Amino acid sequence: MTTTRSRPGPEQPSEEPRIPDPIALDAMATAAPRQEFFGFDIVPPPDRPPQTEREMEVYTLGDGEMLVNMGPQHPSTHGVMRLVLKVRGEVVIDIDPVLGYLHRGIEKLCEEATYTTVLTYVDPMDYMSAMHNEHAPAIAFEKLYGIKAPPRAEYIRALVVELNRVFSHGLMMGFLALDIGGLTPILYGFINRDEVVEMLAAISGQRMLFNFFRVGGVNFDTNDEFMSRLGRWRANVLDTIEMNEKILTENEIFRARTRGMGTLSGKQAIDLGVSGPNLRASGVPFDVRKAHPYCIYDQLEFDVITQPEGDTYARYMQRVAELKQSIHLIDQIVDKMPHGPVQAQVPGIIRPRPGRAYAAIESPRGLYSVYAISDGGPNPYRFRMRDPSFISLQSMPKLLPGHLIADTMAIMASLDPIMGGVDK
Amino acid sequence: MGHLRRPRTGAALLGRRRALSAPAAAGPLVRLLSDRLADAASDLWTDEDTVEIQVPRDKIVDSLRTLRDDADFGFFFLADAAAVDYGVGNWFEVVYHLYSDRHPTWLRVRVKVDRENPVTPTITSLWEGAMFHEREMYDMMGIVFEGNRDLRRIYMSPDYRSFPQRKDFLLPDDAADSAAAGNRPLERPETWDLSKLEDAAAHRDEPGGPV
Repeated sequence: MTTTRSRPGPEQPSEEPRIPDPIALDAMATAAPRQEFFGFDIVPPPDRPPQTEREMEVYTLGDGEMLVNMGPQHPSTHGVMRLVLKVRGEVVIDIDPVLGYLHRGIEKLCEEATYTTVLTYVDPMDYMSAMHNEHAPAIAFEKLYGIKAPPRAEYIRALVVELNRVFSHGLMMGFLALDIGGLTPILYGFINRDEVVEMLAAISGQRMLFNFFRVGGVNFDTNDEFMSRLGRWRANVLDTIEMNEKILTENEIFRARTRGMGTLSGKQAIDLGVSGPNLRASGVPFDVRKAHPYCIYDQLEFDVITQPEGDTYARYMQRVAELKQSIHLIDQIVDKMPHGPVQAQVPGIIRPRPGRAYAAIESPRGLYSVYAISDGGPNPYRFRMRDPSFISLQSMPKLLPGHLIADTMAIMASLDPIMGGVDK
Repeated sequence: MGHLRRPRTGAALLGRRRALSAPAAAGPLVRLLSDRLADAASDLWTDEDTVEIQVPRDKIVDSLRTLRDDADFGFFFLADAAAVDYGVGNWFEVVYHLYSDRHPTWLRVRVKVDRENPVTPTITSLWEGAMFHEREMYDMMGIVFEGNRDLRRIYMSPDYRSFPQRKDFLLPDDAADSAAAGNRPLERPETWDLSKLEDAAAHRDEPGGPV
């Protein structure tokens, strides 16, 4: 590190502390004991004066309104997150997502790690799409270092990220059904997912957190086990998906629970920063693979799929369509894959010249981007990750009001957030 | 294990390449920027797929509004908003990345923020989705966004009192810099109890002794 660092001194008390004294907070918290009501925690107004206008709005109760905590360990929150629902009867009026239960400070850790080891830290972020998590930093570091991965490495990268997208979208279909009350689709989803995961384990050596990408290439070339598993999976994957789809797409109950639920217009979605399948389900044709082609996506034939409705059902249909599109892309990639090396020659410890690089990719949850700054040292000076599900969660207070508590699960599952990525 | 070995044949041919000049595709955007944002945008710089400008703090909202609403720019999507700490004695920087379907490059807008008094205007009036970005920047870096309706901590608990992503916030296990440097038992050989090791070494060659 060329930066000079100093020990943190004692904190200087400022005239107007923005955050009240924690000891005073403790006293306030113990003074007002929590009430319980048939297993629900009735949240008292927060144990401190509201800090912001918005907080005041959410935590001020009108006539017949109450606050209900959903989470942090509710099975439908897809990780550890707390939703504070403001309800009147069974209808949700307002919502305040409380995050941070899984915060590990990955950005800070990555600033202490060398460029090669950063690629291992980002894996557990969005654990449903670990390949995508590694893809963006790899591209950003290659830009910083001024190197290109060999063509075969680019094809292998595209192959593994599309495989990862297949299992992520396939599981999303199952989770959405599970949150509504159907148990079967998740089991079918896991059949498909296990086959893909075993395949990726054959090429990378790991089942979930692959650590497969390298700066300037990928770790391993394809091998016999991977290719034979790929062929066997490809032969019957469309049947598995169709089997899963038959249960859901035309299902009367499923449609009644999802159609017209949580409608997001295209304009609203852009305003809220929603990206990926959720944005395209609202009719906006923004796909990073087309908008700023990275890797080899400019050599592949595919269209940006959109749905006009923007409701939960549209977001589900969007996932199904993209799943099939990914399989189509996998066919093309395997067809066109060239021979050659899979790793460019890079030194063990990379020291790029000072500079900045931005790399964005299309992850199963949307625009995932990395902004890396190099100061010439062996580790990134600043490493910033934009996680799509973190930003998509902002649309919850827009989507939920007016719906029943039971529908919050369906709407939230249709956004497909992964808390590992949300909390970084 | 043969198939696990990386083939390195021909890897030497892949030399280091770096785009030194702006791609021709970025030309129209560069001209537009110097045309319509001449008084606000400075330090224009281009990368292979990014055009970068620097905008002073008091003009950032107007500049971003122009970039979003002007039909020729059309940067309708806020791709990213992040804060960078350039260290004690320097400054903060808030970096916005924008996407337009009319230009083949990303646009990066950098705003310098004073480190002693880190206040900058909010852009939640332009994109509501900047809210979580700004809350994260406040939480991690302590940058205050004036006019933000909901500037609370987002990851850390509300009673947390520090800003962990600042460069002067050290990780506790950062042994090189932290207070624990040099005090760990392994680094003080005089405290080691070596008698057992020596004992073992003396009896190593005997049958049945320690291996």
